[in-house]
Amino acid sequence: MISGRLRFESSHATEFVDITKRLRDAVQESGLRTGRVYLQSLHTTLGLAINENEPLLLRDFQHLLERLAPGDAGYEHDDFERRFEISVDEPVNGHAHCRQLLLTGFATLLVEDGKLVLGRWQSVFAVELDGPRHRQVAMQMDGAFSPPHQPLGSPRRRRGSGQSAGWGDTSDGSREARLVEAELMRQLMVDPDPVAAPMRRLMEAGGKRLRPKLVQLTSQIGPRHDPLRAAELAAAVELLHNATLIHDDYVDESTYRRGRPTVAAEEGAERAIAVGDYYFAKATRLIAEIGINGVTSTMAQAIEAICASQIDDVALRGAFPGDHDSYLRVVRGKTAALFAAACASGALLSEAPSEVVEALRRYGDLLGVAFQMADDMVDFSPSSGKPVGLDIRQRVLSLPLIYAAEDREVGTEVRRLLSGALGDKEVGRVVELVTSSEALRRVGDEARGLVDAALRELESVELDGLRPTLVSLARSAVDRES
Amino acid sequence: MSVQAPDRELDRLEGLWADGLSESYRSYLEAVSDYEADAQPKLALAAALIEAGVRLQGLGGRAAPAPTLLMGDLCLARASRLLADAASLAVQVAFARAIEGLSAAAASGSPSRPVRELLLNAFTATA
Repeated sequence: MISGRLRFESSHATEFVDITKRLRDAVQESGLRTGRVYLQSLHTTLGLAINENEPLLLRDFQHLLERLAPGDAGYEHDDFERRFEISVDEPVNGHAHCRQLLLTGFATLLVEDGKLVLGRWQSVFAVELDGPRHRQVAMQMDGAFSPPHQPLGSPRRRRGSGQSAGWGDTSDGSREARLVEAELMRQLMVDPDPVAAPMRRLMEAGGKRLRPKLVQLTSQIGPRHDPLRAAELAAAVELLHNATLIHDDYVDESTYRRGRPTVAAEEGAERAIAVGDYYFAKATRLIAEIGINGVTSTMAQAIEAICASQIDDVALRGAFPGDHDSYLRVVRGKTAALFAAACASGALLSEAPSEVVEALRRYGDLLGVAFQMADDMVDFSPSSGKPVGLDIRQRVLSLPLIYAAEDREVGTEVRRLLSGALGDKEVGRVVELVTSSEALRRVGDEARGLVDAALRELESVELDGLRPTLVSLARSAVDRES
Repeated sequence: MSVQAPDRELDRLEGLWADGLSESYRSYLEAVSDYEADAQPKLALAAALIEAGVRLQGLGGRAAPAPTLLMGDLCLARASRLLADAASLAVQVAFARAIEGLSAAAASGSPSRPVRELLLNAFTATA
C-alpha cells in the first residue's frame, strides 16, 4: 500500500482541475502493475468527477451546478446568527456545500498493466466549488507492485509506510540521489529550529533537485570522483537555491510553493528574510569548506548574478510583459547562472580539464534558459497541478506572454489586458488568448532549440560515458509538460 | 580623507556609497591593514557591504519592502564574491558564520551582538 496527497491550488470559485496526468505519473512512479487507486477529497466543498475534459462541456457542468444550487438562493448554513462556534473567517458558502453533495468526494480507479484504466474520453477532475483555495486529495494505491520505475521529476514514495516520503525527487533511486537527501537532512538537523523548521518544510514539499543532479553528474567526469564530497556540494547548491526561493516568494508575494504555504506566508516576512539569509550564508560556507577556489568563485559569481537579475526582474515588471532581450538577460541570471555553476563546479570538483569545465558551463547556461522557458509554459497547462495563470497575476516575466503580446492576431488584446487590473476574468482571457496563439509553440520550439545547442556543447569533449544521462536530463527538463 | 571603492564593485549599489557605505568601508579598511595591500579594499568593502546588506533587509527588525530586500541580497552576494576573491578560507568561513549567527538570532527573536563587532572579529580568524 502506498499513500500520498495530491496538493494543488485552485484559481477560480468553480473550477474543474484535471488531475489525470498527475495520477498517471503517480501510478508509473509507484510501480503499481495491477490494482486500485483510491481518491478521497479532504474538503467539504471539493468534489471528484470522471468525465470529458472539453471546455464547453465543463461550462455546462458549471451552469448545471449553478442552476441546482444557486449562489443567491439563501442557505441556512450562511445564517451565522443561528450557528455556534463559527470562525471569524467563516465563508458564506452554503451553495458550495450543497453542490458538493451533488457530486462525490470519492473515486476508485483501476490499474492494469501499470496504467490507469480510463476510457478514451475520460479524465479525472477535482472539482473546486468554493475557490480559489489550497486543496488536497488523499490517495492510496493497493495491489501488485513491480520494482518501481521512477522517471526524472518524480517525487520518491516510501512503500508500506502509509505516507509519502517527505523529501524531494530522488529520481532514479540512485545512490547519488540518496546521498544528497541524507546530506540535506544531516545539515538541517544541526541547525537551530527557527531556521531549520521552515527550510525542512520547504524541502519536504519536494522539488526536482535538478541542480544537485547536475553537480553529481558532472563530478563524475574528471579523474577525481569523490561521491561524498560531490553530495556535500550538491546539497549546498540545493540549500542555496531554496534560500533564493524563500526571498523570491516574499518579493513576489506568493502564498504557495510546491503546494504548501510559503515561508513568508506561514511565518511572516521577517522570519522569511532571516531563514533565507541563514541558508545563503550556510551554503556559501559549505561551498568554501570544500576548499577548491574555483568552485567557491564559480558559485559566488552565480549568486551575484542571481541577485542582480532579481533586481532587473522586478524593475521590468513596470514594462510588463517586457521583450525577448530583457527576458533572456533576466533568465540568464535568475535561473541559468546556477545551472551553469552547478555543472562547472561539479566538473571542477573532479578536476576535469578546463575545456570540459567550460563546455559544461555553457551546457548548464543553455539548459537553464530552456528550463525556465518550459517552466513558463507550465503556467498555461491545466494538468500541471499549479494554478493556471499565476505568473500573469503576479506579473512575472514570461516568454509565452511576450510572444502573445507580439502576436498579430491576439497581441493587441493581450497588451490591453496586461496593462490594466488583472482579476480572474482578465487572467482567464489572457490564458485563452495565449493558448489560442502561436506563443506556446514558439516557446516550446525555442526551448528545444536551446537544448539542442546545449547538447552540441558536449559533442567535442570526453564525458566518460555520461553523455546519454546528460542528454536525457536536458530533454526531460524541457519536455516535462509535453 | 576621501576613500574610493572600485567602481565595478558598486555596480547597481552606487547610491549606498553616500548613504553610509563609504564611512563603514573606511572603518573596515583600518581593521584590515595587516592583510596584503591588494586584498585590503576588497575585504573592507565586503564587510561594509554585509553591514549595509543586513541593514537594508531589515534583518532582526521590520522586513524591508521587496526592492530594498533585493538590494540587501545583492550586497550580501557581492560581499561573498569579494571574500571568495580575496579572503582566506578561515575568514570566508568566519564571515559566513557571523551571518548565520545574526540570522538565527533574528529568526528566533533573540538579541545579537552588533554586526560590526561580529565582522571585525571575523577578520581575526585563522585556519
